[in-house]
Parts: sequence; C-alpha cells; structure tokens
Amino acid sequence: MSTPSAFLPGLREAIGAPGVAMAATFCAFGAAVQEAGLGPGWALLACWGIYGMPGQLVLVQSAAAGWAGGVGAAVMGAVAVNARFLPMAVSIAPVLAARERWRLLPAVPFIAVTPWAAAMRALPAIAPAARVSWFLGFGLTSWVVAGSAALAGYFIAGGLGAEARAALLFVNPLYYGLLLAADFGRPAPRRAVLCGAVAASLALLVPASMALLAAGVAGGTVAFLLGRRHGAR
Amino acid sequence: MAPADLALALTALACLGLRLAGVWLAGGMSAEHPAIAWATAVAQATLAAFVALAIAAPSGALAEVPLAARLAGFGVGAAAVVTLRGRLLPALLAGLAAMLAVRFLVV
Repeated sequence: MSTPSAFLPGLREAIGAPGVAMAATFCAFGAAVQEAGLGPGWALLACWGIYGMPGQLVLVQSAAAGWAGGVGAAVMGAVAVNARFLPMAVSIAPVLAARERWRLLPAVPFIAVTPWAAAMRALPAIAPAARVSWFLGFGLTSWVVAGSAALAGYFIAGGLGAEARAALLFVNPLYYGLLLAADFGRPAPRRAVLCGAVAASLALLVPASMALLAAGVAGGTVAFLLGRRHGAR
Repeated sequence: MAPADLALALTALACLGLRLAGVWLAGGMSAEHPAIAWATAVAQATLAAFVALAIAAPSGALAEVPLAARLAGFGVGAAAVVTLRGRLLPALLAGLAAMLAVRFLVV
C-alpha cells in the first residue's frame, strides 16, 4: 500500500501563520523595489530566484545607491547574508528522508528560512515517504504567496507610509522569533537559540554582511559542543 | 546586461549553489549524525541571531519602530505561543497588536 501524498497538508500549513508572515515581508520588499527604480519583473524574479529576504534587500539597497560599490560587492554581500542556506540544506536533507538524493532536487529551490523552520517542526510527525511531497506543497505555496505579495507591494508602494512598511517588516522577525519560542522546551534548540542570540553581539565587531554568518557559526558551534558535553540532544 | 539583472542572476545562482552543496554534503547521513546536529545548531543559531538583531538593533525601516514596541511585540507573541501550545497565527497577531499598541502610546 502506497503512502498518501502530503502535498495538500503542506499547502494548507503554508497558508496559516507562515503565509501571513511571508505576505507582510514580501509586500514591504515589493514597495522597496519600486522605490529603488527597479521593475516588477525584477521583484518577482528576486523573490523566486534568491528566496532569501536579507540577500534580496542587499541588492535593492545597492540598486538604490546606484551600484556605487560595484555589482561584485553587492553580490558577495547578498550571498554572505544568505549563507545560512548551506547549513539549512545540510540539516533538512536527512529529515526529508528521500531514498535517492536526486529525489530532493525539486525541493532544493525552496530551502529557505520559512519552509525550513516549518518542515523541521512538522516533518518528524509525517511518514518518511510523504515528506518530500509535504515540503513541495509548503514550498510552492510559499513561493506563490511571496511573489504575489511582492507584486502587490510594488503596485501599492505609493500608498504605504514608512510606518506601515516598518510594521510589515516587523512581522518577519516576529514570526521567526515565535517559531524559536515554540521550540524552546527542547534542550538542543534552546541551547542553539540562546547561543545564537548571545553571538549576535558579534555584529558589533564584524562587517554587517558577515555578522549573521559569524554569529550563526560561532553560536551554533558552541551550542553543539555544549550538547556533546552534556550528552543530551 | 543591466547591473541589476546581472546582480540578480549571479546571486540567484550562488544561492542555488549553496542549497545544492548542502544537500550534496548531507549525502546519506542520518538525522542523528554529529555533522547534521552541528549544521542544525548553526542554522538555528543563525535564525536566533537574525531575530535578536532585528529586535534589538534593526536597520532600515524597521529601526523606525521604537525599541519598546519591538520588545513588547516579541514578548507578548512569545508568551502567547507558549500559552497557546505552539499555535503560531494567534500568537503572531497578538504580538503584532502589542507592537502597534505600544508604538501608538510611545510615539
């Protein structure tokens, strides 16, 4: 008997709180793209091609500044702030439990913070054979929400004040913070969250484009070593 | 090619490369492998650092939201998600409402 597809449950999961958080954030992004003088097609392709808000914002800020530092510096900055895709992909690949590695290829473009965090939370309760389809349902829905919200933000940019945009931007870190808070009862995530929050102070010492990566590697490594020392997960 | 299009194409390719490299590096490792546990800790710590910086020291338009409002929003949201046993949407709305209420009182 084959395992039923989990595509629809993944789709439904993406429409709730993750959808609200993504819609708000990408709406603000669309407005920023319009203000930077770029086109709606660029906004859409940035959402779907990069699919990592910090990196998208680095490019928009560089465009608004007329690429004063050069395209190469902008690209390096955007890639550096999105470097978390690497450890996220490493950690989610075994959880997706595909029998052959090539079966993960359709899921690769969707590996980003929101799908990753939702999947790490939901997938352990889903049959291994159905996990890739759940992730595709979630990821595709998120993509559609992100692109639609960015276009909406682009075309209503003139009607959004700075404060409204700030409120929209706040939804994104708030949502991520709630995801972490919901996991705070488990020792391993709690250690990583506390160490990462403390390591965020590295932002005072290193360039902004490297701060997140440095804090993540330093905080995550300390949390991992503490876990090994205590013999707990 | 226009600078914006070139930058977008290069960044998208590099981000896809990072994702593919991660999946390739994970190989046939199990979720219990120490390398996977380390990568998971790094990803969670990165997310925590992102949230900490966005709440405590944001840049751009988010900096226009007063610190007290950001802290209230996060505090109320976190308390709600724990009280509501992980239900994210009502907690998100409670946090957002708290942020807007405090911002209205402070500004």
